[in-house]
Amino acid sequence: MKAFHYINFGLIFLFLIGICVLEEVLVSNSLVAVLDDCYRIEQQIEVDNNLNTSRVSIMVDNLEYKWSKNESKLCYMVNHKSIQEIGQEISKMKAYVTNNDIDAFKVSIDTIKFYCGAYMHFMGASVHNIL
Amino acid sequence: MLTIVARSIIIYIIVLLLFRLMGKRQIGQMQPFELVLTLIIADLATIPMAEVSVPVLHGVVPLFTLAILHFIITILTKLSTKFSNFISGKPVIVINPKGIDYQAMKQLNLTIDDILAALRNCGYFSVAQVQYAIMETNGKISVLPKVADAPATNGALNLKEEESFVPITLISEGQLMQDNLNLAGLKKEDVEAIVKAQGGKSIKKVLILSVEKTGKSYIQFMEGEGKSFEGSPLEACS
Repeated sequence: MKAFHYINFGLIFLFLIGICVLEEVLVSNSLVAVLDDCYRIEQQIEVDNNLNTSRVSIMVDNLEYKWSKNESKLCYMVNHKSIQEIGQEISKMKAYVTNNDIDAFKVSIDTIKFYCGAYMHFMGASVHNIL
Repeated sequence: MLTIVARSIIIYIIVLLLFRLMGKRQIGQMQPFELVLTLIIADLATIPMAEVSVPVLHGVVPLFTLAILHFIITILTKLSTKFSNFISGKPVIVINPKGIDYQAMKQLNLTIDDILAALRNCGYFSVAQVQYAIMETNGKISVLPKVADAPATNGALNLKEEESFVPITLISEGQLMQDNLNLAGLKKEDVEAIVKAQGGKSIKKVLILSVEKTGKSYIQFMEGEGKSFEGSPLEACS
């Protein structure tokens, strides 16, 4: 076998390792950022007990902006269907802010937290996931 | 739709490159592990092609992983005969001078019809003509005929013939084969001279021109019949 083959397969091997590391970093960073924002918004609602405040509105806008930025990167690595629910729930949250529907808003936040947690668990390399 | 077209092109190029990297064996010559790999690759490649929500990387990563695995198995089979036998199996003699080996036949899950069909493929229509038949690891049967049924060779007939050489194609469908021209040590002008000498006007009108070091050369124009002619241009060069 020629050295050319060894080099090619070496490059493919490095590519695979690079992709695995990149996925781990990119997906966990993006989902952790969303989770952090959700916790912050949750704390803010506990304090204000009202959604019709500029602070909550800005926080939700900020979450939506961050998510749209991260989502485009995540789509290179993650099945689009697995993360589309997060975007849908964020869109719903904006409507709940306008209508001041705290209960539905909290449900959306819990749903986002659930999806982020579930995907992080699903993505991690564990015996359960491999088998 | 444009996404599917683009994805198909990407996956096609990747699969093509992988197959080129993995070698040139045809389906009939594949070892069992190579056949398994080919079947899996064919299935894996279609997933990101047709399903737009699946990232291309979800198809590419398993393809690359399989390529690495194939590479490792190939190296191990070259390094260890035991490993090679475990992965690819060993050639098995199915016909010996005593006749068909029934135990070997059962072990390979073969029927008499399978053996007879394989023998016919090799040009032998009776088991009586065969001294040995060996089932190779790629599933093909190699046959050693009995002396009485073996084809006559120049060596057996004590004929002294000159060694033959592979004909070199200089023109194919009006195109000058530059690599072959270099191999033959000829120039474009030499080829044009041959074409004119054989009644042609230009290289573009030639369907095929092949030359041999010894023996006859062959030329066929796009409109007309093919003809052999004496005098190889390679002889003049050498």
